Amino acid sequence: MTKIKDNISIYLSMLVCSIKSMMEYRVDFIVGIISQLLTQVVELIFIWIVFQNTESLAGWTFDKLLLLYGITMLTIAIVDFLFDSIYDIGPKYIKDGDFDKLLLRPIHPLISVMGDTKTFTAFGYMAISLVLIISMLIKLQINITFMLIAKIIIFAFSGALIIGAIMIAFSVTSFYTYKSNEIIWSVFRIYTFAQYPVEIYNKFIRILITFIFPFVFATYYPTLNYLGMENGWLMYLSPIVAIIFLIIAVKVWNWGLNRYRSTGN
Amino acid sequence: MSIIEVKDLEKVYKTSDKESGIIGYIKHLFHPKYKEFKAVKKVNFSIEEGELVGYIGENGAGKSTTIKMLTGLLTPTSGKVIVNGKVPYENRIENNKQIGAVFGQKTQLWWDLPVIESFRLIKKMYKIPENEYRKNLKKFSALLELDELLNKPVKNLSLGQKMRCEIAATFLHNPKIVYLDEPTIGLDVLVKERIRKFIKDINKEKNTTVILTTHDLKDIEEVCDRIILIDKGSIIYDGEKQTFKDTYGKQVLAQISIKNKNALITNETIEDEFEVIEETEDFLKIKFNHDKTTIMNVVNKISNFCEIVDMHVQEQGLEEILKEIYRGEVVC
Repeated sequence: MTKIKDNISIYLSMLVCSIKSMMEYRVDFIVGIISQLLTQVVELIFIWIVFQNTESLAGWTFDKLLLLYGITMLTIAIVDFLFDSIYDIGPKYIKDGDFDKLLLRPIHPLISVMGDTKTFTAFGYMAISLVLIISMLIKLQINITFMLIAKIIIFAFSGALIIGAIMIAFSVTSFYTYKSNEIIWSVFRIYTFAQYPVEIYNKFIRILITFIFPFVFATYYPTLNYLGMENGWLMYLSPIVAIIFLIIAVKVWNWGLNRYRSTGN
Repeated sequence: MSIIEVKDLEKVYKTSDKESGIIGYIKHLFHPKYKEFKAVKKVNFSIEEGELVGYIGENGAGKSTTIKMLTGLLTPTSGKVIVNGKVPYENRIENNKQIGAVFGQKTQLWWDLPVIESFRLIKKMYKIPENEYRKNLKKFSALLELDELLNKPVKNLSLGQKMRCEIAATFLHNPKIVYLDEPTIGLDVLVKERIRKFIKDINKEKNTTVILTTHDLKDIEEVCDRIILIDKGSIIYDGEKQTFKDTYGKQVLAQISIKNKNALITNETIEDEFEVIEETEDFLKIKFNHDKTTIMNVVNKISNFCEIVDMHVQEQGLEEILKEIYRGEVVC
């Protein structure tokens, strides 16, 4: 337990340092945020166009859908900020030989990787998602209480951990190929399914995003909960799913690391 | 008990045995064939606490593979390593707390941050007590002249400045064992000397065990007392540096100023007592072997041909000895 505490404490210090060094790149920072804004605006326009032709999508109105969209975006922003450097393990650390350096530190190498993050875009994402969430909550006449805000933040983090765990598990491919970032990316992109209500999908996709890549716990069930809809209680499973998936992910990763250390590269 | 024990250590790498061309590549995809390559063969040695050991060998001799197994980066195929009571590849993180390592030009400092911030992170990572940290920082700053550098981002430092900070970072948590792989590569003479002196000072004060691999044999000459020489995966010499030089460094080079030369000095006229490398009217450069002749004999012989004005005798350095060993001219 103390080991986990130590690791988390050093991780937080490293995060603070990462934010400090992000400030060294002000131009990149601003460009990153602006490009992120543009991509999101394009996607939102697309949803708006769809709703020009229909009143609702599987029982979801435009406003509710945008709330789900905002919740997803907030979760993804946190994923970006916390887990983006997972992509670097193969193409950057292992390929350039910097990985050995991380293995010589008295902390878990994943902490070193995650503590060294440079995701400028996350803040852009976060800003739009917050605007979107708050305006939809007002439009849907949902009471914005302190409790609700706390829930939104806590469960966005919990959801981010689920997605992060999946990314960590798939980053084990970094020990076999430098192109592991593309594999992680394609798994990560499954989250786009969870941007829309599950009702519109067939059985196969539902099973996929509920049990195998449980993105629904990250975005869909929390939104149901905030909207006071049926099955909203399933949101409370999200932290449990997150912990289970994180444990499995780290075990898989350690297994990969041990194999990597015995073959040599 | 020695601080490092290495027993029958072996590492076999599997490399893919691909046929050339795209067809070979596709074949390999479905029926991978592997070649085995033994990088380290039955290596044995033990190192006592506080020793300064030079671990040397040519590129590809198995040096880095051994160091990687000692530091726990690589798991051996067979054999055993025990470092201060711990098996590094089974207990990597515990072992990391007691060691420090510098690998060539790879920096462990954070590129965008001022040096002092990296030091603070290291302090936290290794849980260095505040007073210990302050004491070391003060001492290292003085020895390596870091004061001016601490508040600069690492990316703005020159190679030599970076390396000085790197070395300080490595010793900050009072490691019991330090592995230095090419710590002076690409540095100018003054920085090299400062780093060598630092290593010796810390070793004297804290009894830190140091294992140094380098191609700059001046590092070894100045820092190490003991040499372990590895060639094609096997250890061919392990012992005192001085004994090594005495045993294999039998060639002596002499530069002699002469006058009143009365005959040509060639290998024939001196009956192969020594070897003439260069000869002019007033200068002579010769080489001879300790085993075959003595310096008195050489002087006597030369006196038959000329008067000796001045003489400068040079023992063979580590570098020349190693060159001969690598070329197979001398067998260990």
